Amino acid sequence: MPLATFMKIKSALRLAALDPRALALALEPGMALADARARHPALLAIEANPSAEAKILTDILAWSRRFTPLAALDAPDGIMLDVSGAAHLFGGEEKLQAEIEARFQAQGLTARTALAPTPEAAWALARYGHVLRPLISFLPDGLDERRLARALGPLPLAALRLDTGLVAGLARAGLRRVSDIILRPRAPIAARFGTHLFARLDALLGRTKSAISPRFEAPPYLAERRFAEGIVARDGIEAIILSLAQDLCTLLTRHGEGARHLEASFFRVDGAVKHLDVRTSRALRDPEAMARLFRDRIEALGDAGLEADYGFDVLRLSALAVESKGEDQASLDDTLNSENDLAGLIDRLGARLGVRRVTRLSMQDRHDPDFAVVYVPAASRARPRKCAPRDISSDAEIPALPPRPLRLLLHPELIEAIASVPDGPPLRFRWRRVLHEIAAVEGPERIAPDWWKEAPGFTRDYFRAEDRDGQSFWLFREGLYRETIEPRWFMHGLFA
Amino acid sequence: MPAGSSERVDFLRARIASLEAAGGSFVPARSWCSRGWPSASAQDLRVSLGDARAPCSLDQALRGGLPWGGLHEIVAARPGDRAAASGFTLAVAARFAAHQAKTSAKIIWIIETRALRETGTPYGPALSSCGVDPAHLVLVETRDAQESLWAMEEALKCRSPAAVIGEIWGLAKIYDLAASRRLVLAARKSGTPGLLIAAGLAGAADRLSSGAGTRFEIATGASPRLPSAGGRMPLPGKTVWAARLVKARAGPHGFGFDRGKLHRLSWDPEKACFRDALSLGVLSLSGDRASRPAWSLSTGERGAARDFHEDQIGAEARSA
Repeated sequence: MPLATFMKIKSALRLAALDPRALALALEPGMALADARARHPALLAIEANPSAEAKILTDILAWSRRFTPLAALDAPDGIMLDVSGAAHLFGGEEKLQAEIEARFQAQGLTARTALAPTPEAAWALARYGHVLRPLISFLPDGLDERRLARALGPLPLAALRLDTGLVAGLARAGLRRVSDIILRPRAPIAARFGTHLFARLDALLGRTKSAISPRFEAPPYLAERRFAEGIVARDGIEAIILSLAQDLCTLLTRHGEGARHLEASFFRVDGAVKHLDVRTSRALRDPEAMARLFRDRIEALGDAGLEADYGFDVLRLSALAVESKGEDQASLDDTLNSENDLAGLIDRLGARLGVRRVTRLSMQDRHDPDFAVVYVPAASRARPRKCAPRDISSDAEIPALPPRPLRLLLHPELIEAIASVPDGPPLRFRWRRVLHEIAAVEGPERIAPDWWKEAPGFTRDYFRAEDRDGQSFWLFREGLYRETIEPRWFMHGLFA
Repeated sequence: MPAGSSERVDFLRARIASLEAAGGSFVPARSWCSRGWPSASAQDLRVSLGDARAPCSLDQALRGGLPWGGLHEIVAARPGDRAAASGFTLAVAARFAAHQAKTSAKIIWIIETRALRETGTPYGPALSSCGVDPAHLVLVETRDAQESLWAMEEALKCRSPAAVIGEIWGLAKIYDLAASRRLVLAARKSGTPGLLIAAGLAGAADRLSSGAGTRFEIATGASPRLPSAGGRMPLPGKTVWAARLVKARAGPHGFGFDRGKLHRLSWDPEKACFRDALSLGVLSLSGDRASRPAWSLSTGERGAARDFHEDQIGAEARSA
């Protein structure tokens, strides 16, 4: 049964994509659905789902990075791969193309591939190459311009990626093929149809570097290994990561740089891809340390682990962010070594527990006790601001802050307290179901809310209270009697 | 805040004396040259908790102080004393840091999430009152006890931290002789002191059995309160800890100690050491009280009641 998808284009249902049987029935994309059904009532038409198609294309892109990391989307139905340096891994460009076609077939996808010296030529051959007799899908590198022009001549003008109005105009003028434009003088055609037509032609033939080229995301350094069959055992994977790290470090040493963001990509035999990334606090060039960080990261994945069902057959280690790094020099008192030691510990803890769980304290200049300290990830470069040493010897007119509790509760907890009205200190209170009798109290310290905000909240009167057993608490009463009828008491911190 | 030069000189003198007594080759205890060489004499070196010239009563019970590279456990006496136990541990870590060769050595504090929720998170502005600069602290938050023990072992394997504090909650099932032995070995090999706060075992200090070298039980003591004017409640004084030595490894000469004795200690920020806290009835002498404003972060002493009132007005004017 011929299959087609349809979409609503300008309030009419039109065919979007067709399978080979439908194409054989002389149906075309863009034809109205009603016309198509009238001709062939047996046509099966389903609604197109562009978002699902885009997602599938992205998955295919992620999987096709196994051939080369330089892969880019060519929406809506294609992928562009830059295989400039990767052909020798497969034994030549023709073998690479055969391998790509075989892999796509194994995945159950019908793909038309074309390999050419320029991206525009590859695009043209992939989409319109089927009109060529004999069928060409491969143009070897180093082809001179005349042969290239002869090979690409029979292609229709739409292969230059021109819009349909321009193509129709050229067809009315009798220009239908690429060969028609190559040989004719340029000036009259450019005067009527514009010059970008010739810019495209030059890019196709390789005379100029095209201004429009797909954007490739290429990591600065990478090392990869391919295997004939999938690797499943974790020891094997860790050993391979170590050897990849050694290759990567050789590359980094040659350029005098160290890696700060590493990514390990695991390509599974059945098409799934898994990425693990690790960030470090200093430029790293030691293969043992890199392997160890990845080992901690794999352990942190838990019991499921890497999910290597049938094995991974391509493993790639890339350095996504690098920094220049000189040679390691041992200093006389080994201060450099101790910094590296601590940084290595922070990296290992961050790899296993998560980067945000290893933090340092950064003091902020805020009067609100909740925001006076900010926790900064220890691996980041910014040095936390040191708490300014208080000058106790000078006679300061503004006295220093009252003592603060050693432990601050994450959220202030509601307590029941008895205190004399209106602003007396508490006499006894109940917190977490335990009654405390207060024997000594200091305060109040009044901390006002941020008056510049729209809903500022209530003023807090903080008290430092010590109970009969000697335990000290930091409580506050929220709300003055002129602000609210019923102020509430909260517990905010505990003293040492 | 760091220990004065006189303290370092005393430390070096003690070190040289022990070396001369041992008669062995020169192996510096905490310098980087002795990478990986287990130095037997490092075990004999002890860090005194009080001032070297005026040792506190706990130092005498410990026969000199706490040894370097070892594991020390701290347990709270009651559930409400957990914050005090962490304050005591922080002060002990500050003592270790003061004896370090470099002044920028970091203290690593590993906290389990449950302990964070129960007792709260360490608050930066108060750390200097226990002798630690907030810029030298690295906080590690872990999800459960197993992860905390792993993180503590990893941190103890490094030589650069001044001390490693681990505040772990769920130790009941997984902490036994074997687990503690791993921590002890890691600490001994690298020379980094480890301080384990058994936060979930408040009140169970006597029942805990492990391979650690020393164990303290910490409770809060009533602080020396100052009277306030007008018949109001007295003002709380400096923080006082009541420490009980539950376990201590016998030194080369062997000794016994009194397990029931409570040592009352407080922290002196100026000299960065512990001091014996005077009993409740004796007020602070005039030498401790200067003509400074009432809220003075350095010593935490309270001025006279008159200073308090003047400052009360100043505080209100400041925050209004």
